Amino acid sequence: MSLPKITRLPPARLLGSIQHHCQQLLLPSITPLTVPRRAIIQSEYRRPGKPKEDKLPWQKINFSLSKGLDGIKKNFALLKKEFSDRWVGPEGKPLREHMLEQTRVIWEFRGPENLEQWVVSSDSEIGGQSEAYLKLSKNNNTLFLYGTLNSTPPRDGETRYSGYCTMRSKQSLASFDRKKYYDWTNFNTLHLRVRGDGRPWMINIGTETYYSHMKDDIYSYFLYTRGGPYWQDVKIPFSKFFLTHRGRIQDEQHPVWLDKINTIGFTLGDKADGPFQLEIDFIGVSKDYAHTEEFAYEQFKRNPEV
Amino acid sequence: MSPFILATLLFALGLGTMITFASSHWLLAWMGLEINTLAILPLMAQHHHPRAIEATTKYFIAQATAAAMLLFASATNAWLTGQWDIQLMTHPLPVTLITLALALKMGLAPMHSWLPEVIQGVDFTTGLVLSTWQKLAPFVLLLQLQPTNSTLLLALGTASTLVGGWGGLNQTQLRKILAYSSIAHLGWMTIVLQFSPSLALLTLIVYFTMTFSAFLMFKLNNSTNLNSLAISWTKAPVATALAPLVLLSLGGLPPLTGFMSKWLILQELTKQDLMPLATLLALSALLSLYFYLRLAYSLTLTVSPNTLIGTTPWRHPTSHLTLLLSTSTVATVFLLPITPAIVTLFSLLGT
Repeated sequence: MSLPKITRLPPARLLGSIQHHCQQLLLPSITPLTVPRRAIIQSEYRRPGKPKEDKLPWQKINFSLSKGLDGIKKNFALLKKEFSDRWVGPEGKPLREHMLEQTRVIWEFRGPENLEQWVVSSDSEIGGQSEAYLKLSKNNNTLFLYGTLNSTPPRDGETRYSGYCTMRSKQSLASFDRKKYYDWTNFNTLHLRVRGDGRPWMINIGTETYYSHMKDDIYSYFLYTRGGPYWQDVKIPFSKFFLTHRGRIQDEQHPVWLDKINTIGFTLGDKADGPFQLEIDFIGVSKDYAHTEEFAYEQFKRNPEV
Repeated sequence: MSPFILATLLFALGLGTMITFASSHWLLAWMGLEINTLAILPLMAQHHHPRAIEATTKYFIAQATAAAMLLFASATNAWLTGQWDIQLMTHPLPVTLITLALALKMGLAPMHSWLPEVIQGVDFTTGLVLSTWQKLAPFVLLLQLQPTNSTLLLALGTASTLVGGWGGLNQTQLRKILAYSSIAHLGWMTIVLQFSPSLALLTLIVYFTMTFSAFLMFKLNNSTNLNSLAISWTKAPVATALAPLVLLSLGGLPPLTGFMSKWLILQELTKQDLMPLATLLALSALLSLYFYLRLAYSLTLTVSPNTLIGTTPWRHPTSHLTLLLSTSTVATVFLLPITPAIVTLFSLLGT
């Protein structure tokens, strides 16, 4: 058996030609100079919705000087801002402002850079047929999440339910890609202005967790939209949020601690196929002095000692 | 928590520290430290809140690492010198390792990063135990070490005072502020340890008194951050009037008790011909003073916006036990005039 033609090709096109020649390898013990691409990348089971991986991991990174310089400028600018903010006061605001603050708008949607802060996904990732898209609405003033929900489960033999779409804010980063947390201890209510289509959404707040077994801990609550042409002001106290882990409501409930909030997200999964839309004007937090409830749910003991 | 389990855990806490106090063998001392660590873990995690569990796990990992280092260092000492006696440890390698292990146990910089997160994750009472009782056993072991590497202790102490000052500067969470204050005070103690152990013990006890006042004051007001502290003047107006004095005592201002330890330490350092270090320490105390002053400003010198219903809590009797708070507050504010008596007492204890 003659050696495959790869050995005579110039090295630059080596990887490109492997795929053509790997079928011609009748004796697998005669290995080519490099392992065939498909064997590395596609050795695992690929879920139906996942795109085919064509590039090796190091080929996906963009090594360029301009990108590096931009990164250096951005990170050092953020670092300088962090240093100078320390002199001003907590969270970069003077103390008086920190003490008197009663409302704060966290997410506003005024331009494409605001859209970059959000990640949209739907069950097409696991092979389903829902679609979800994000765009800025009229006059670049609001966020518009729209798409189609389809609860046909993907035919991979193991998924039984499907039909969801979700939008989640990206983790905000400080200098050098360190995580930055929101500190909402001054506030006790989440205030959003939305215009939905009557569907019930779920708001998910993700807090910072150090250990990996807690990373899917999310505090959720419902958002029932009205659907009319009028805007809807939604105020949800943080005491109403209940603890879930990977979507399952936990038996031992705890109030959400507001000192390290990472992300907020909206999920739709109401098993009603068809188009949906949600328009968000702003997402903010506020302090409602009249709301004194600490936690809305009974924290009973499952196995009380006698 | 069931009272029997609580009693057992508190007993074990006390037992662990007493075992460490009474031991002259490194293994027994290590055992006491381990009993302390294990006993406090259920107390920290009793509320099962995810953040409390996270704090407990972080605490356990830090303390277990320190205990392992301690065991390794004492075994190395036994290898090198043939004995396990605590006070006869003279070889520099085990002494350095043990110093670093005890520094990690207590939360001295640069091994301090676990302390703010851990104290933030637990409630006030457990945080108080962590800040005070849990520091006794490692401190007592540090006291008994021969000071062969003075530079290490000075470096740890200086780093702690600076980190405690800078780290607490822009915190709004009260428990984190108290954690950084703990780091700073332990730094002061560590610096004077090799020159005058009785002064270090005095600093520790004065720090305990001040920390008791601070923690119990915040617990009475049930406030965990700066803004909820600012509206808590309606809950106990007299306590609020004394609270700035407690905070300034923590900052080390005369004529409050906290000044006693700082003054005597600076005097001792001057006698030892370490003037630049003394100056640096005095300046780093200013950093800590800044955030204590900020707390005092928001608590007492301003009237934060509040609703009408928020102005009436003082009318109701509190269900808290306030004897300890009142005693420690009085001790925090008024003990400076009897400094000579206290110094004599501690130097007699030290000899």
